[in-house]
Order: sequence, then C-alpha cells, then structure tokens
Amino acid sequence: MLTALAAVALGLFAGTLPDDRELARQILAELRGPRVAAAFACGGLLALAGALMQTLFHNPLAEPYLLGASGGAGLAALAGMTAGLAWPWVSGLAFAGSIGTLALAAALGGRMLARDHTPLLLAGVMLAAGFGALIALVLALAPAERLPGMLFFLMGDLAWASQPAWLLTALLAASIAATAMARRLDVLQLSPLKAASLGVAVAPTRWTLFALAGASTALVVAQAGSIGFVGLMVPHALRRLGFAGHRALLPACALAGGTLLVLADTLARTVIAPRELPVGVLTALIGVPMILWLLRKP
Amino acid sequence: MRLVSRDISLLTGDRTLVDALDLSLEPGEILGILGANGAGKSTLLAVLAGLALPARGQVTLDDVPLADLPPLVRAQRIGLLPQGDEGGFFGSVADFVALGHYPFDDAPDLAPHWATWELDALAGRRFDTLSGGERQRARLAQLAVQQTRLALLDEPLTHLDPAHQARLLAWMRSEANAGRSVVLTLHDPNWAACQCDRLLFLHGNGRWQLGTPAELLTPDSLEALYGPGTAPLWRQGR
Repeated sequence: MLTALAAVALGLFAGTLPDDRELARQILAELRGPRVAAAFACGGLLALAGALMQTLFHNPLAEPYLLGASGGAGLAALAGMTAGLAWPWVSGLAFAGSIGTLALAAALGGRMLARDHTPLLLAGVMLAAGFGALIALVLALAPAERLPGMLFFLMGDLAWASQPAWLLTALLAASIAATAMARRLDVLQLSPLKAASLGVAVAPTRWTLFALAGASTALVVAQAGSIGFVGLMVPHALRRLGFAGHRALLPACALAGGTLLVLADTLARTVIAPRELPVGVLTALIGVPMILWLLRKP
Repeated sequence: MRLVSRDISLLTGDRTLVDALDLSLEPGEILGILGANGAGKSTLLAVLAGLALPARGQVTLDDVPLADLPPLVRAQRIGLLPQGDEGGFFGSVADFVALGHYPFDDAPDLAPHWATWELDALAGRRFDTLSGGERQRARLAQLAVQQTRLALLDEPLTHLDPAHQARLLAWMRSEANAGRSVVLTLHDPNWAACQCDRLLFLHGNGRWQLGTPAELLTPDSLEALYGPGTAPLWRQGR
C-alpha cells in the first residue's frame, strides 16, 4: 500500500516541471495525473487478469494475452490506423477485436469447460498465433510513416489512455468481483471433479473467471495497447512471496500491478526525455530480472 | 442416511460398461469395487457422488434424487476422493487440507486430522513439493475434513506405504463404526477380502456381481474378472 502511494508520488513529480506554478499545476492535474491514474489502473487490471487466467488454466505461465486478446485487438487497431482513423475509433476497434477474439475462442473451444480447459486453451493459442501472423503482414505492407505509431501500440503505450476514471472504476469493480469469489477460486485449483464434489459449480465459475479476465484485458488493450509481462509476472512473483490464497493474492495483484506499471511508465517518460519509450519494453526490462531473482530461491 | 441406485446403466461411447445395477449402501458398510482398467469403476463413483448422470436409472439419497440436491448440500453429505490431479494448486499443505471444509460456513477444526494422516511435519510445506504418497495422505486428510456420511474413494491405496495403508484402514473402520459408509475402488483382492464388508465386481461388459468377499473371491472368479493368469494374485485360500 505504502509502496503504491510512493510510486504514485514518484510518477507525478518525476521529470521536469516549469517554474510557472500555474502551468506546473496544470501539467500535474491535466496531463500527469490522468496518466499516472491510467497506468495504475491498467497495471492492476492486467495483474488481476493474469492471476485469474492462471487459476482458470491451472498454470502459472498463463497470462492475459494467452487466448489472443491482444492479437485480435492489435490487428483491428492496425487496420484502423492503416485506414487513417482517429484514436477514439482505433481504441474502439481494439476493444471490439479483443472481445471478438475471446468470444471466438470460447465458441470454438469452450464446450467442455466443465471438465477440461485444454480445448479452450488450444483454440485461444491458435487464434493468437493466427492474429500474430496477420499483424506481421499488416506491418510489412503498411506505409512507413505509420509504423512508429503501430509499434508503440503493439508494445503498449500509456500516452493514449484517455479514460483514467473508467479504468480505475473497472479496476475497483473487477477487484471486488474477483475477491468476492476468492474461496471458490481456491477450490477451483483442485481437479474439476474434486472441486465439483466440494459443491463448486465448475463450469459457471470458470466462465465467470474467463469473462472477468477477458473484459479487464480488453479494456486495457483498448486504452494502452498490449503492455506485456505485468499479467504474467506480478501474480507469479506474489505467489512466490507467499500470497497463495486468492483472498490475499487478488487485491495484492491489483496494488502491485498498478505500482509496477506506474514505475515503468515513469521511467518510460523520463529516461530519454523528451522522447518516450514504449512502456511495455520497460515492464519487461524491470520484470525479467525480478522473476529470475525470485526463481533463484528454491 | 441411505444411498440407493436403481437400475443404473453406464456407457462409454456406445459400449455398455454397467447394465442395470441395483445397489443399496447400508450405514456403516465398507464396499469394495473391483474390476479391470476401464471397467467403469471411476465412472460409477462419479455417478454415486452425483457428479455425472447415468445413461439410465437414478441414484437417490434418502429418497431424494442426487440431481435435485443443491451442490453444497450434496457436498455436506457425500465426499469423493478422485484420482489426483492438482497441477494448479500453489498453496501450503495446510491450505490444501482446509479446502475440504469448503461446503461449511464455520471455521474448520483441522487439529485431529494432522495426527491421523501423519501430516504434522508437512503442514507448512508447499503442496506441490510433496512426494506421491504424501500428496495422497493430504488428499485423504482433505476428504476427512469434509466429514461426510458417505465417502467414495477412487484407488485410495495408490502411493501409500503399508503403514499408511493401515492408517487408511483404521480410518475407514472408525467411519464405519460411526455409522458412515465407505465405498472404495481397489486392485488388491487380498486387501479387499480382509477389509471390505461387501464387494462389487464390474466386468466392463455390462455384467456385475455383488456379494460378500467369501461369496465372490475365488481363483476362478478372479480369472473371470481380470483374465487368465491372475488367479495366483489370490493368496487367502492357501
């Protein structure tokens, strides 16, 4: 909690501010404030979605983009950019692409979800691979002057996030909804048959997980592109640090994911100021050594 | 409390595994199910647990069809030990065992179960670092925490050394003495002969036999159940 507050303060005041107090106030309130808020919300949503996906698929390597949520969004957004659409339209297309891909994965692989999650996993991974190829095709054919914007979207960039209030509301709602089913999610980590024998309705709970993780991811992708690594790393790291039960893990994911992304975005803004780096590059550069360090412990 | 299955049939694809089985479980009874791999033992347990529907027939608990029981109510009365697969569980052994109390709202009293399953020293360990036998003990403890009137165990002897098989047996006997029923699948006819009150043979082709160990267990019946060459598995008669 304190770390999160410190990160937000750092996010607000890192970097140059003009001497003019009025102008400085405006920059903080209208530019940096919303951006820090958006970063925190996106990071929290991604980490939360990652934890839910890991529980859904019984696999600590599952992450929010596993089922093509970012591939579908990326292709739709790039198509919009190629057509020269303005950002709000591109954002809308990304959201639709993300939700559409997840719905397609569910339609193709979701029939057996009460007993077996593998078909859904395979359908999603195949869609993600397919969209990845199509994205590469669009990049190869797109006009050169549009490439930087496209690459920033594909690597994730918070400069575009325009709805921090919505994102924060979504983070709060998703955290509460997920934590409310924490005990059921603990049981869901057992085999489907065992979970059912303990009185958990396996299929409805799994679909709720899928919908919650999918909606959280689609919102983030539509606002900030595909910011990688937060959703994989944060829950994994927190589990290693002893947050095993969902009641503690899920709120911790929301806080730690938000904190990490605020820090990464602050660095992305300031390291080579006035130019900016894609924040997804920073999350990986911070995250990879952290995970490797955690793996070192038995 | 009485679990009754009337005229139930189990299929896999279009092949009949069990045909028209009538089975009434008495309180305080230990029933052993024997049959070759794929004969339908696990499927039958899932049906008796109310987690799968038979192709035909009905299972009732005190005259209420299992399908009509709310899941949590069913979980307070019938416990199932499936064959293990907890690849997604990242918590401690204590967390794992405590999940057995999920169907109930109050706080669980885990203390008596640590000694029963000799898990005292393992409670703080991460579940996924345990050996196969230790995991099986943790699964059994989780089931014991659920404290159901009926326990369905799918190959509970798996991975257990003789000392812990003896503990399992003592636990089953104490359950039966308290008027609870235990159903287990197993592959050892000698264990079945000594420890079960009744046996159910599943032949995997629809045919089944129900009776006491003395009635059912003979070298010939084992060969009929498992195939030629299996009679020497049966040592009781020597």
